[in-house]
Amino acid sequence: MLELLQDGFIRHAILAAFLAGVACSCVGVLVVTMRISFIGVCMSHAAFAGALLGIILGLNPTVVALIFTLLAAAALGPLADRGNFSPDTSLGIIFSSTLGIAFLLLSLVPGPKTEALGLLWGNILTVGKMDIIILAAVMLAIIVLLRLFFKEVQTVVFNREMALASGIPATAVFYGILICSGLTTVASLNAIGGLLVFSLIINPAAAAYQIAPDLRSMFFISALFGVLSGWGGLWLSCLLNLPSGALIILCSTLLFLGAVTFSPKKRPWLADAMSREPRSEICQTGDRNPEADLHDEPETDSRQPCSKSALMEE
Amino acid sequence: MGNNAYSILIKDVYAAYHGMPVLEGFSLQVPEGELLGVFGPNGTGKSTLIKVCLGLVPVTSGEVRISGYRMSRGSVSFVRKLTAYVPQSFDVDRRMPVTAGEVVMMGRFGRMGIFNRVGPGDQAAADDALHMLGVRHLAERTFGRLSGGEKQRVIIARALAQEPRILLMDEPTNSLDWESKKRMCSLIREVHMERKLTTLIVSHDIDLLADTCDRIMLMEQGRIIGARNPSEFRHCCRGHGHS
Repeated sequence: MLELLQDGFIRHAILAAFLAGVACSCVGVLVVTMRISFIGVCMSHAAFAGALLGIILGLNPTVVALIFTLLAAAALGPLADRGNFSPDTSLGIIFSSTLGIAFLLLSLVPGPKTEALGLLWGNILTVGKMDIIILAAVMLAIIVLLRLFFKEVQTVVFNREMALASGIPATAVFYGILICSGLTTVASLNAIGGLLVFSLIINPAAAAYQIAPDLRSMFFISALFGVLSGWGGLWLSCLLNLPSGALIILCSTLLFLGAVTFSPKKRPWLADAMSREPRSEICQTGDRNPEADLHDEPETDSRQPCSKSALMEE
Repeated sequence: MGNNAYSILIKDVYAAYHGMPVLEGFSLQVPEGELLGVFGPNGTGKSTLIKVCLGLVPVTSGEVRISGYRMSRGSVSFVRKLTAYVPQSFDVDRRMPVTAGEVVMMGRFGRMGIFNRVGPGDQAAADDALHMLGVRHLAERTFGRLSGGEKQRVIIARALAQEPRILLMDEPTNSLDWESKKRMCSLIREVHMERKLTTLIVSHDIDLLADTCDRIMLMEQGRIIGARNPSEFRHCCRGHGHS
């Protein structure tokens, strides 16, 4: 195993798995919490269709893939906002359209279709320096944007209408999320493949959703799961001499199943134990004006359980 | 009264929602400091009224002024910082990784602006709102796992954390049982008085409006058809067999 690390292409693959794992899983957190998971599927097929068009026209497939995904992202927003369709319906329409275009273009690719099919399945073992640079740039951009705009993202993810009503530029944040998912998909196309990249976007984030107590830790857990999926799949691929893309996705699926099975959110007592402050049976009266009676009823002081309010509210 | 004396001034507004006309020639004036209720059956345009005040639904004609500022594309972002919104419903998954305390703090983010971080003043405003609504002990709990009444109080706390001039509430007792409704009525009144707000509540809940509001406007088919004081309103509704 250690001898393999001497090979440059293995080191590239390990690095690509790390970068793609982090980038895809961070975008996945946004997509999963906003319940627009199908966007990963739409973007991957739009990217695949664009890359095929690039091959047919003799242009850089990555650049044309990027243009296609940005056009798809730009179409999703207005369809969801102004149409009578829910975002899922809009995504379904764009997905079927891009899938049709992709397979039409695949049939038009001249000569052997090896390069085209490579974009569909991906091959992390053949990524080059330019793929690594693009992946690194996209990953860093996503991390920097999340750092700068975390509070805006958190507010939009919670409830987009309330975010807009409170003065947050929710529409810009939403379109930003769509564009970032498009960029991530294109950057991961060669390594993971158009057919499978949406799984690397969704699965680690969905697994983290089962575990994370807050949004910030969800990003970290999702990234960890994304990297473990990438490295796990790569290791199994070397061990078993099987396609790396498929194994990466299967690893991410196993992590998701494990997270669902052992999720503390299915066990309220465990979730309470894991939360930063366990559920308190005591109502805190606070140290504000003792004359104020806005918060608790007179019978619930700091020494008694807030049983009446708990009964009323539960 | 001059235009600037009204916290909310809506003049001959026509507004459509998903292509269907909802408000037609609608006018409303809410003086500063008033707690006004708007009563009407479902589908009469009450929620659209709130969204017009927030600029979430565009008006095809007419004028909307909030605290003297005319609602336009250029001013809507600023105006939204003067108002706080408590929606009718908020669909949040039980597993959504956000705590009640974080939800309340979100109320500060619109005021803070982009690139700015949470400061001591923001934390103090959020803590104050949590305390006022009696939900400080829930701050570390996952929001999705709270009861309906607790969620409602957290959302109101979030609205107060914004330190608004105007509070807009859409069916605030929608998901509450009778006992919780009574508590919510007194809570809304106390919050309105303590924070010196102008409050607009739209609801079909007679008891909420009669127990809480200074004045109640009656709304039907996108228009105001009358105004009542609370006792007249309760008598009028009982007489028409509303429960």
